[in-house]
Amino acid sequence: MDTLPKSACEACPQFNANGLKKLGINTTEFDFVVALAGNPNTGKSTVFNSLTGLKQHTGNWPGKTVTRAEGGFEYNNQKFKLVDLPGTYSLLSTSEDEEVARNFILFGKPSVTIIVVDASRLERNLNLVLQVLEITDRAVLCLNLIDEAERNNIEVDTRSLARDLGIPVVATSARYYRGIPELIQTVSDLANGRIHCKPHRIKNIPENIEKAVQKLSIELKKEFPEIPNSRWIAFRLLEGDRHIIELLRKGEFVI
Amino acid sequence: MKKDNIENLIALSNDLRWQIGDDFHDNLTEGIYADAAEIVSAAVHKKDEKGKLRFDARIDKIITSRTWGFPLMFLVLATVLWLTIVGANYPSAFLGNILLDHIHPFLKTLATNIGFPIWLNGFLIDGVYLAVAWVVAVMLPPMAIFFPLFTLLEDFGYLPRVAFNLDNLFKRAGAHGKQALTMSMGFGCNAAGVVATRIIDSPRERLIAIITNNFSLCNGRWPTQILIATIFVGAVVPQSFSGIASLAAVIGIAVLGMGFMFLTSWALSKTVLKGEVSTFNLELPPYRPPRFWKTIYTSLIDRTLIVLWRAIVFAAPAGAVIWLISNLHIGDITIAAWTIDLFNPFGFLLGLNGVILLAYVVAIPANEIVIPTILMLTVLVTGISGGAGAGVMFEADSANATGDILRSGGWTLLTAINLMLFSLLHNPCSTTIYTIYKETKSVKWTVVASILPVIMGFVVTFLVAQIWRILA
Amino acid sequence: MYSPVWALSLFIGISILLFLLFRPEKGWFWAIRKSNINNQKIVIEDILKLLYHSENQDKILNINDITTSLNEPESNILESVNEMARHSLILIEGENVRLSESGSDYALRMVRAHRLWEKFLAEKTGFAESDWHHIAEKKEHELTDQDTDYLASVLGNPQFDPHGDPIPTKTGKVADIKGIALSDLDVNHLGRIIHIKDKPDIIYKQILAENIHIGSQVRVVEKDSNRIVFHCEGEAFKLAPIIAANITVSLLKKEYISEDNVARLSMLNENEYATIIGISKEMRGESRRRLLDLGFVKGANVKVDLLNPLGEPKAFLIKGTSIALRNNQASKILIKKD
Ligand SMILES: Nc1nc2c(ncn2[C@@H]2O[C@H](COP(=O)(O)OP(=O)(O)OP(=O)(O)O)[C@@H](O)[C@H]2O)c(=O)[nH]1
Ligand SMILES: [Mg+2]
Repeated sequence: MDTLPKSACEACPQFNANGLKKLGINTTEFDFVVALAGNPNTGKSTVFNSLTGLKQHTGNWPGKTVTRAEGGFEYNNQKFKLVDLPGTYSLLSTSEDEEVARNFILFGKPSVTIIVVDASRLERNLNLVLQVLEITDRAVLCLNLIDEAERNNIEVDTRSLARDLGIPVVATSARYYRGIPELIQTVSDLANGRIHCKPHRIKNIPENIEKAVQKLSIELKKEFPEIPNSRWIAFRLLEGDRHIIELLRKGEFVI
Repeated sequence: MKKDNIENLIALSNDLRWQIGDDFHDNLTEGIYADAAEIVSAAVHKKDEKGKLRFDARIDKIITSRTWGFPLMFLVLATVLWLTIVGANYPSAFLGNILLDHIHPFLKTLATNIGFPIWLNGFLIDGVYLAVAWVVAVMLPPMAIFFPLFTLLEDFGYLPRVAFNLDNLFKRAGAHGKQALTMSMGFGCNAAGVVATRIIDSPRERLIAIITNNFSLCNGRWPTQILIATIFVGAVVPQSFSGIASLAAVIGIAVLGMGFMFLTSWALSKTVLKGEVSTFNLELPPYRPPRFWKTIYTSLIDRTLIVLWRAIVFAAPAGAVIWLISNLHIGDITIAAWTIDLFNPFGFLLGLNGVILLAYVVAIPANEIVIPTILMLTVLVTGISGGAGAGVMFEADSANATGDILRSGGWTLLTAINLMLFSLLHNPCSTTIYTIYKETKSVKWTVVASILPVIMGFVVTFLVAQIWRILA
Repeated sequence: MYSPVWALSLFIGISILLFLLFRPEKGWFWAIRKSNINNQKIVIEDILKLLYHSENQDKILNINDITTSLNEPESNILESVNEMARHSLILIEGENVRLSESGSDYALRMVRAHRLWEKFLAEKTGFAESDWHHIAEKKEHELTDQDTDYLASVLGNPQFDPHGDPIPTKTGKVADIKGIALSDLDVNHLGRIIHIKDKPDIIYKQILAENIHIGSQVRVVEKDSNRIVFHCEGEAFKLAPIIAANITVSLLKKEYISEDNVARLSMLNENEYATIIGISKEMRGESRRRLLDLGFVKGANVKVDLLNPLGEPKAFLIKGTSIALRNNQASKILIKKD
């Protein structure tokens, strides 16, 4: 649990180029489900294409992808199903345009979540990243568009990021296949439990909310001792999320 | 027991929510951003504080400027269309030559030699094969030019700027600025445009965008516009201007389509879909130089496959139907001739004719086959010996020959103009209708979206025809 | 027999007829349909609400009051009153009419439906604020108890409607509003608007037109018998005391935001920099959340990124991204120019 994730390339075993097979849309049997989450227009579909060899439409405007797409790849004899999602700004909203993405990230039970962010607009993208980290502890940050950040003279220290976020960080430039091998290796390591994450939990929360969340969390844990992310459920209950309330009533927790 | 506990839990959360008040979401988001700021300050180093590249800023200034914004948009549209119209001629002629003039006779002989019965021969090769071949020869080239160009613009980051520039017009029509994006997608394919409306987050504006998407000329209709404009509009001006005139006519129809889109949005939001626009926010991404060859290559391969697939799925059965209705008889005459007679008076009232109306009924599955159907049916009723026989859908060898056939079918400039208008204003193709149903999950709105444009088509062509006749 | 002129005239004739039949609101078709709908239920429910609101202000009404307050033929009202008495929704004591216990319950359910629907309109739709009341006034008669409960759960069981009026709970509990009228707030005292009366219509529209809304902070700077001058979200307002009396405020001890220099994002000029100090309470529901998610949070820096050839929307640079907003949204984001 305590092994701090380092920047992927140093921590992980070497990428094995021969072990990679792009499977296209052939996803009938697979060992792991990998979700691609992230703000709109950060290059999720581009990452998806470079991993699966498919041709999901990409385009330089937010909202190009509006439906979920699936594809697969095989790495070291394990099959991964990759799910490309529409971009989303937040998991806290209830807006319809983000429903597909939100539902899959929250209830689709991905084995690993790749969070794709725009390296030049990291602060804005972290809003979603920090929310995802409240839910899952198997995630990797794909610091995409790194070529653009370099052109803009923006330097991102991936080690410091990985330390603060508690998850592995891989810098990529998906359009030019830069960093994709490292990303595959990291996903495989996460899926097989070779890397353990210690995800960041939101700290700067006003006292009254924090108290309410704790109170609810404790009650939740009493009722469902096994759930890992009672804090997130408490957030959603405070927000009055009907979906969560229904799930509670049914007593089934998919997350 | 457990049930009670859970109800208590929910009640507790309600109480707590009331205590916290409605600032919960504000506070939480502010908290998350505060965390984000801390993390970023440790990890990100900017060498200079410029938020945006000078290059980007300069392009943006021009593209969204008061003087240049709108002319530029128009220029871009015109250039794309011009390249499509001019560029598609050569490959179209080439493909037509191979598929229709060489392979078709070859297949015919082959079938006869193998010993196909006449009806099967006609049905398969004159019906199905020719429909597919026509679609490939006429549809593929414009699309293979249009889409790569469009994708280049899309990858560059131009589309959101169009939405940005036009939003105020959409606002006045009671619609959402992102409708400009879905409308642009509709220029490719209306079904894709309808799915793209998911980016519009309020149901009312989304419904408006879905219903009006059909006013974007889709790729199934561009070739009709281009062909008819070349034959009839290009012919009324001196030879040296005919290219410009037909281009202007096609652009005119496209722009008219946008006009109808605004008008219908406005009318809908004043009547059945009343309400103000709730929210509008649009992220303007940075410009990204597209990867020229890669884009061209992928969108070419991509589209080719899709078009071929559609051609086979839709055009083939339609081709078969055409062959059937022109070879099965009611009494003395074929079903086709009988229906044409039935439609003729109404067609005349609209400045069209029975042939065109029947063609539109047959072509509900795919707009692509409207023109070949019209040609074939015209030959059938006029009895001239242009085509290859009853029920044979064909591409006349050149635009001129096509024109001759149509003129002998009684076509005038009015028929041509009204056909262009009707091609803009008629029901969406079956794929689009199905997509609309899937997206709205409502029979009512699907019916509205399908019927409304036809009614508008009838009204507009009717008015044009009467006024034309009064003035002429 | 066919002539284009003749065809055209016929067409115009038919169009005019269709217009007269189906034009919105005033079309003959709608008028005929409306007159055929049995509206006794609506009248009964309106009387119940009227009685409920009056009793809340300790006023007892008689039948005459009811007929003058409702815009219905007297015979309809009398018939409905009889019907209500028969179902013991009301008690008639001489001339006076009072709500019975079951009548009270019924009235509370109506109020709940009305206020929830207003909340729904505010949070989830784009209807203008001045239309909410009228739409809810129609809708409340159509909602069943299940509908209202569902609505409440969708909205997260809200406690107050967008005017600040409490929404009765399912069991009939009503929260109190603790506050004073704006006209009673002393000079230099701070308050937060917690309630704006949506009746009478003329005064409510006037308040809305001034762009005053629930949740914003006010500070009275001047006050005499003719007018009250106060600052609110960076603007100065002058109101007659009778209008100010329709606004309820809660007293604030300390100032949350220093009000100097407060402006609205829509007023930011090119090449100026500003810091966000908050989003006005008028921005609600989904739209508010989206703005927050896009980074329009307290303390963030903004500047104008792009002007528009048609004036709006303008694009603002926030957290490194260019986001276009229409003026009516930008005017609800409060900033402090640097
Ligand atoms: N320069 C550069 N451009 C990239 C990179 N990755 C993606 N892009 C471009 O960024 C744009 C957006 O990419 P998409 O893959 O469509 O983004 P997305 O996250 O799927 O977007 P939505 O589907 O709208 O949420 C496209 O024009 C890509 O070509 C990269 O690493 N470098
Ligand atoms: Mg995508």
